[in-house]
Amino acid sequence: MLKYVGKSEKRVDGIKKVTGYVRYTDDLKLSGTLYARIKKSPYPHAKILRIDVSKAKKLPGVKAIISGKDVPIRVGLYLEDKTFLAIDKVRFIGEPVAAVAAESEEIAEEAVSLIEVDYEELPAIFSPLEGIKPDAPIIHEDLGSYKHASIILPQSGTNISNHYKIRKGDVEKGFKEADFVFENEFYVPHIQHSAIENHCAIARTDPEGKITVWAGCQSPYAVRRTLAVAFDMPLNKIRVISLAIGGGFGAKAGTTLEGIVIPLAQQSNYRPVKLSFSREDVFTNTFIRQGMHARIKTGVTKDGRIIAEENKFYWDGGAYTEYGVNIARAGGYASTGPYNIPNVKADSICVYTNHPVGGPYRGFGMSEIHFAIEQNLDIVAYKIGMDPAEFRRRNALKDGSSTVTGQVLENVGLMQCLDKVIEDIEWDKKEKRVSKIKYRGKGIACMYKAPSMPNNVGSSAIVKINEDGTVNLLVTAMDLGQGSDTVLTQIAAEVLTVPISRISIMTGDTDCTPYEWQTVASRTTYCCGNSVKRAAEDAKNQMLRLASLKFGISKEGLELKDGQIISKIFPDKKVKIADLAMGLTMPDGSGIHGPIIGRGAFIPPDVKDTDKETGQGDKPVAYWTFGVQAAEVEVDIETGEVKVLKIAAAYDAGKAINPELVYAQIEGGIVQGLGSALFEEMKIEKGKVLNPSFVDYKIPTAGDVPEMKISIIENPEPTGPWGARGIAEPCMVPTAPAIANAVFDAIGCRINSLPITAEKVLKAIKNK
Amino acid sequence: MKHKIRFTINREVKEIEVEPNKTLLKMLREDLDLIGAKEGCGAGECGACTVLVNNKPVNSCLMLAVEVDGKEILTIEGLSDGTSLDPVQESFLKHNAIQCGYCTPGMVMSAKALLNRNPHPTEEDVKEALAGNLCRCTGYQRIVDAVLDAARKEGKK
Amino acid sequence: MKEFEYLKPDSIKETISILSQFGEKAQILNGGTDLIVEMRDKIAQPEYLVDIKAIPQLNRIAYDKQDGLNIGATVALNEISNSKVVQTHYPILVKACKTVSSYQVRNRATLVGNICNASPAADTAPSLLVLEAKVNIIGPTGEKIVPINQFFTGVKKNILKKGEIVTSITIPPIKGKWAGVYLKQGRKKEVDLATVGVAVVCIRDEIRIALGAVAPTPIRAFKTEELLKGKTIDVPLLEKAGESALTEVSPISDIRSSQEYREEIIKVLVRRAVLHAKGGHIL
Repeated sequence: MLKYVGKSEKRVDGIKKVTGYVRYTDDLKLSGTLYARIKKSPYPHAKILRIDVSKAKKLPGVKAIISGKDVPIRVGLYLEDKTFLAIDKVRFIGEPVAAVAAESEEIAEEAVSLIEVDYEELPAIFSPLEGIKPDAPIIHEDLGSYKHASIILPQSGTNISNHYKIRKGDVEKGFKEADFVFENEFYVPHIQHSAIENHCAIARTDPEGKITVWAGCQSPYAVRRTLAVAFDMPLNKIRVISLAIGGGFGAKAGTTLEGIVIPLAQQSNYRPVKLSFSREDVFTNTFIRQGMHARIKTGVTKDGRIIAEENKFYWDGGAYTEYGVNIARAGGYASTGPYNIPNVKADSICVYTNHPVGGPYRGFGMSEIHFAIEQNLDIVAYKIGMDPAEFRRRNALKDGSSTVTGQVLENVGLMQCLDKVIEDIEWDKKEKRVSKIKYRGKGIACMYKAPSMPNNVGSSAIVKINEDGTVNLLVTAMDLGQGSDTVLTQIAAEVLTVPISRISIMTGDTDCTPYEWQTVASRTTYCCGNSVKRAAEDAKNQMLRLASLKFGISKEGLELKDGQIISKIFPDKKVKIADLAMGLTMPDGSGIHGPIIGRGAFIPPDVKDTDKETGQGDKPVAYWTFGVQAAEVEVDIETGEVKVLKIAAAYDAGKAINPELVYAQIEGGIVQGLGSALFEEMKIEKGKVLNPSFVDYKIPTAGDVPEMKISIIENPEPTGPWGARGIAEPCMVPTAPAIANAVFDAIGCRINSLPITAEKVLKAIKNK
Repeated sequence: MKHKIRFTINREVKEIEVEPNKTLLKMLREDLDLIGAKEGCGAGECGACTVLVNNKPVNSCLMLAVEVDGKEILTIEGLSDGTSLDPVQESFLKHNAIQCGYCTPGMVMSAKALLNRNPHPTEEDVKEALAGNLCRCTGYQRIVDAVLDAARKEGKK
Repeated sequence: MKEFEYLKPDSIKETISILSQFGEKAQILNGGTDLIVEMRDKIAQPEYLVDIKAIPQLNRIAYDKQDGLNIGATVALNEISNSKVVQTHYPILVKACKTVSSYQVRNRATLVGNICNASPAADTAPSLLVLEAKVNIIGPTGEKIVPINQFFTGVKKNILKKGEIVTSITIPPIKGKWAGVYLKQGRKKEVDLATVGVAVVCIRDEIRIALGAVAPTPIRAFKTEELLKGKTIDVPLLEKAGESALTEVSPISDIRSSQEYREEIIKVLVRRAVLHAKGGHIL
């Protein structure tokens, strides 16, 4: 009987947050702080001819000015293609070319306006379809010499930073054998995470040359490593501290502005330097979700089996694709969606453009490709006269199916999710015409996602047992709001049999909390959860060993229960955790062993590379999460406005360690998905973001929320803690295509691009 | 030229000197160390800076500090009395209406202001009152439920 | 924000004097919800900011059967929509005020501020136009009253001259039974600027129509009103009305909407608003 795992325990950080007590980076006050501002490029693609900072330097209150030459080393997570400040040329409007630290924000802003930069404009690229043309201007001339992860395949001499291929079976043969072949195209624009907290970073050096950085980071260790490379410093001389994070969604993964404050701090005589981005800065100078053009060719038999599929995904990676290359890869190895298709050819191509920097966004490519895949499925289903739900059933991955990479699957909960959603949305009840002008429809979309991470990256955790039997838990998994602090505490509580109130979790300090690759990829409950479990078990085993010595009973005869080690047979032989915490005191007064420190580390087992040419591999990912959403919409056919009435969702979470937090995540994902479906689009014209504010970049508000019916299915993931797998990103993925499919059901028109604006819908109705 | 202003902040009288070009939000955060109100956009669009001025919810990023002379300000820090939470805060916790917490101070203040002026709001009333508070994490439903629940509980008293 | 001098006069006379003295260098601070954003973005950089909220006469709502409704310059939108007299006598204005931005903004933004800002999309303007409001102005040369129809002179331009301020708006009393509606089309149902706004009142048999966000200023559709005069409202006439309204405006394509979409919505909203004002149901 589980006591803490599987229970909807209250958030351990709730009171701090609801009282406004918790501090985010911009709330941190350090005495002597200097304020930084950046000088931005006005051109999407240009050579930097000259930077003159002389006037800015003379302004009273200016303490430091830097430009690209101060941080010349290229960095990047999967491909080292970026520098924190532009060197020699700029590749997007807004790219930082210089930065200033001054006594106040106003002085820093004035200093920035006094910096003079001369540019020579270069021809620019604003679409990946332009970028792949043979005569396209080259954005990264040195692509061939950039260091990169082995799983990434950049094409030197082009704008292609990664080309991931799947070659499974024989698509040409498949298309020939198919009864019908359909070709469809889809487009997804750039969107922005719009976390409510804007990015902020503070850096300070000390006389021993150590750098401390404070920032809201999903990945303190990744930041530390990137900064160490950029500044050619040993890791132990950089400390990254992440305060509370006001929303991540991928926006605060990797590095963004941390590398700008450090060289300023190094010239500021040990004073801290703070760079706070405005909302406008966040739109142009932090990650955006890549745009994507998709072409899908489907070969299907009369009885509704998909036997061949050819997918081409062209990703608008923006000016730097150090992160985007892996999103293209993830799009590749998931390219058909959760379906069993024997013959697949996929090309997922990441292309440089002169747009702001594309990067990780909740879903990591899955939302983008599923918009295309799930609408495509619907189109095919209707064309061959089959119910879209039934068509999915017929082709879905099931136990024993093989994925597009040839991985054979078990524990596939997709059908259970589909069954539940069909029931909850009342799929068979279709009330089409509510009035002369209001039409209703229902649509469905399935999805799958695996954590996209290198195969060999790990998590770790430390459990310290205090003298009174309370516990300090140290991890560097970051609570972005998803509730990891609470879930990880529950896991420790379960193993140590200690109440949650007697465990304090600390996160986000690379000097003290142990290594965590990143808080991304929906991997935290699975990876760090396993680490915490192992660390707690390690502590438990140490205590069992000591108790065994104390009582002269073998470890097998003892158990940890309610905070005590107790003999299974002789219940009077018991000892509290507190009395073992500092080691064991022997009858003669001597002590052995010392303080109990539990250590746990975890790498997902047996995850291997895929073949570079065919993309085939039998376990390219740690696990797959399956989910389904259905939408009911109402369309005003005179204005084209789409109102989402209801969303039904079901996810196979394996084991919901904290069910309420899982429901809360799914609700948030649905609403974020709704935003991407109906409102959100970065309007970028010739490289300039026209809507870098909430005035014209609209995200959902309280009045937009539909009725939501959410179900959690639990097919255990064998390698997950109590069977848990991640759902943080999956819960946003199918919302947009479910809505698009519902719109088709309502009005008989396909909207092949996002967002599904009233304008597009009305135009489609009129053109019908 | 600095102006001397006198106002009540979280039930305490305060007198300070401010430059006219400082917003109320900046004054709270920089001069009074009341960091609960946040700058999410600086343009009155996100509501993360919401505080009560003379019991009315306003975007503190759109007010100048000098404009609060003679007024009463209530921020999230003034909501609980240091020993127990306000019923709205309790309800947010109970309903799991908090994830990253960044929008929470503004959201709670807007909700508090609503219940002060309308102790029996409908769901529509709550959504209208919170329309100017953006949240990216929760999907809003739990926040709305929390406010309605707090209203019901206060109504029973 | 750039530095400036903050002045807080307690009389209209003093305000006029300051504005006359400093001319372009001075700007009025009323609700601040437009101005402070512009100052933050350095679009507006006044050297003198004149806060008029301490002037008692500007902060009143008054109604009587003879003179109608008078709303002072510093009265916030929420005060207007919460006012019993406005709810009773001019419900269309309540709705119009409530469509502006968010509750927090409406605690600061003012009706007079909304029209002085003179955005073509100003949400209160179409309703004021169909109610034939009058704008009360005081300046160095004395007082004057300008019909709202003449108040807007261009995109974000109004008729005020140097030294003049709007002290209040008067909405004339309406005799007899009447109905009206303000329909606003945005990208979202709440907290968005209008891409098209249509206000219609029907006073006995007279129909008045005004549109926002589809011309350089908010505008009355006099031709369309003429078209509907004295006729029975049926579906074909409503469609003609929509088409006619289109000829009286000049919608553009911008970041919020294309011209083509605005044109479609103008027709739809005019049809629906006229039908609604006539007591019918939008189907």
